[in-house]
Amino acid sequence: MSALLKNVEDIHPALWRGSQLARSQGQTVDTGYAMLSAELPGGGWPLGTLIELLVQQPGVGEVRLLRPALAAVSKRPIAFVQPPHSPNALAFAYLGVPLDKLLQVRASKLADALWSAEQILKTGSCGALVFWQQYARTESLRRLHMAAQSSETLFLMVRPLASAADSSPATLRLCVRPAGDGIAVDIIKRKGPIRAERLSVTLQPSPVLLSPHARVRRHTSTPVVAGSVPSTLVA
Amino acid sequence: MFRPRWSRKPENGCVVLDRDTVFIADRGAREAGVCVGMKRGGVLTLSPDTLMFERELSRENDLMREAAFSLMKFSPMVALCDEETIVIDVTASLRLFGGIVRLCHQMRDIVDAIGVTARLSTAPTGQGAWLLAKSTYSIHQGKRRVLKMASLERKLGTLPFQAAPEVRAFMDWFTGLGCKTLNDIRRLPRAGLKKRCGVALLDSLDRAYGLAPELYEWLAVPPAFSARIELPDRIEHAEAMLFSARRLIVQLCGWLSAQQLALTHATLTLEHERGRDAIDPTVIQIALAEPTWHEEHLLRLFKERLGRTELVAPVIAMRLSAAKIQPAEPPTETLFPEPGGSPEDHNRLLELLVARLGAENVLRAAPSSDYRPEQANRWISVTDTTHPQKLEAVPSDLPRPAWLLETPLQLMMKSHRPFYGSSLKLVSPAERIEAGWFDGNLTSRDYFVAQASDQSCYWIYRERPGSAEAEDPRWFLHGLFG
Repeated sequence: MSALLKNVEDIHPALWRGSQLARSQGQTVDTGYAMLSAELPGGGWPLGTLIELLVQQPGVGEVRLLRPALAAVSKRPIAFVQPPHSPNALAFAYLGVPLDKLLQVRASKLADALWSAEQILKTGSCGALVFWQQYARTESLRRLHMAAQSSETLFLMVRPLASAADSSPATLRLCVRPAGDGIAVDIIKRKGPIRAERLSVTLQPSPVLLSPHARVRRHTSTPVVAGSVPSTLVA
Repeated sequence: MFRPRWSRKPENGCVVLDRDTVFIADRGAREAGVCVGMKRGGVLTLSPDTLMFERELSRENDLMREAAFSLMKFSPMVALCDEETIVIDVTASLRLFGGIVRLCHQMRDIVDAIGVTARLSTAPTGQGAWLLAKSTYSIHQGKRRVLKMASLERKLGTLPFQAAPEVRAFMDWFTGLGCKTLNDIRRLPRAGLKKRCGVALLDSLDRAYGLAPELYEWLAVPPAFSARIELPDRIEHAEAMLFSARRLIVQLCGWLSAQQLALTHATLTLEHERGRDAIDPTVIQIALAEPTWHEEHLLRLFKERLGRTELVAPVIAMRLSAAKIQPAEPPTETLFPEPGGSPEDHNRLLELLVARLGAENVLRAAPSSDYRPEQANRWISVTDTTHPQKLEAVPSDLPRPAWLLETPLQLMMKSHRPFYGSSLKLVSPAERIEAGWFDGNLTSRDYFVAQASDQSCYWIYRERPGSAEAEDPRWFLHGLFG
């Protein structure tokens, strides 16, 4: 009896103790940030399920957080539904996401946006779907979650921070806030123990502070007089 | 005459008259005492409120042809026979459609889409199937599917002999002989039958029993497809036309599969009710990126397109034409299918999105080589073929913000520093972008990366004032580092 109780999590892969992280049911994609991966069940973003990223506003570092995962699934197209601003193609090229796989879907109405997301998930031909949505009702979320389960698509919804208090069918919910040289992540829902302290993730690359142009300018700032011979050649 | 299934049931029944005699009567009329063969006056006396329609042979024939074309999906060998029957040779199609039972179910769906009811029977011989389908004998209800010759003989033997049209001319004579079923007739001496009733009777029976070869005149496929239907009522909402559109689509699919063609471009013409002035019909062009011959896909596309269409006037008829076709390519059967479906699936998805959201809302990246960020970040419609599919080489070492604002936002100034939520601190040296003198959109800006007090980074620029003006510099927010 005691042996059984000791290894209760071995009975079935779907079982886990309250103090442990769940083992993943399906496939996962590595987040690219070891610290974050260690805190997620299965060691990465789960595929075929609803993941919520809660952000105060776009531009807090959510794209760089997703960068390694998007690059990993970029064999198949990556769909952005209702992005908050125009996605900058050059930035994605810089981040290593192939441009020819990007698909941007803009919808004027909420119903159209939800419909598009559902169709993309049902077809399952996209490697990743990132869906920005301000207001979404629990029924719509549940419906999208169901549609996601039939596919092997990395499905992320980016929602405002205020919706953290609402209930959601998502299996993983993360709050993302900007911090020092990266972001601070609060895991507010996962299959595993509650994590009280904030996780700070240093985002790579950090293009913001180390502009190569700055360096180039600094090096060439010494005036080169026309016709002058470099000193190394003279010596 | 065609009454759609959803129309209200007439209170006193309705009858169809063929040259002033009742040709067919529904239950309501029969309860009132009307029977087949009655004169118009008789019907009027018995129940004056019964709806009466004239039989129109030409429209009946059109409907039969519509149904026959739709059924070409299952086999190219479709023949129109006497007495409103369609004979199809499905011997070669059984495996493809997963057996006779599934085939029958699919056929019934198609016939339903056309909007008619049908009795479906199968038999090893065409004439045998014809006889089974025509028989109204009660013991055959639901048992019209015969696969073996022996059981066909058994089943045909019990049919009343009136089923065979060649026998009907001699009905009184056979009744006088005490014959009731086809078996009784077959038991009669052949030589005598031939002498008295002619060759046709015996031939017909022999064909049914598989003793003589059958010859059918298979329906020829027209070289171009253009089908028109009149709607049962004037329709003001585009979505309500979907039922009729499906009728056209199944015909189109049958026509396509009979010739192993795939559709790339179709035209749907909606004819409007003529008011004081004639109104030009609305033409909806449906272009497909991936040639298709599948009913469901076409139906979904039509649904989304019709849902977006605003009608200028009520529609009374619609016409569907196949504008561009090409030979269908057989599906590639890989042993281990790719997860996430084939590229064709993805193309179909794009088509569907374009159909509902419009081509300008489904975009792919096509960055152009330009210094100005707005011009460089170009997104074009997935249906746009003017730009090459292959992208221009993009510099991959250029740090840029992930989000660009559509229109730069002018920032407030507080104590000589740009302010957005909090006072912004410049954390990078300037990057000067000065271009556009060649196309009249001169931009001359110094871009900086700025950090707010909550550590989030913004891409802001200072407009470089012209030499003449010496005002305060104006700052704009242009991008967000995602």
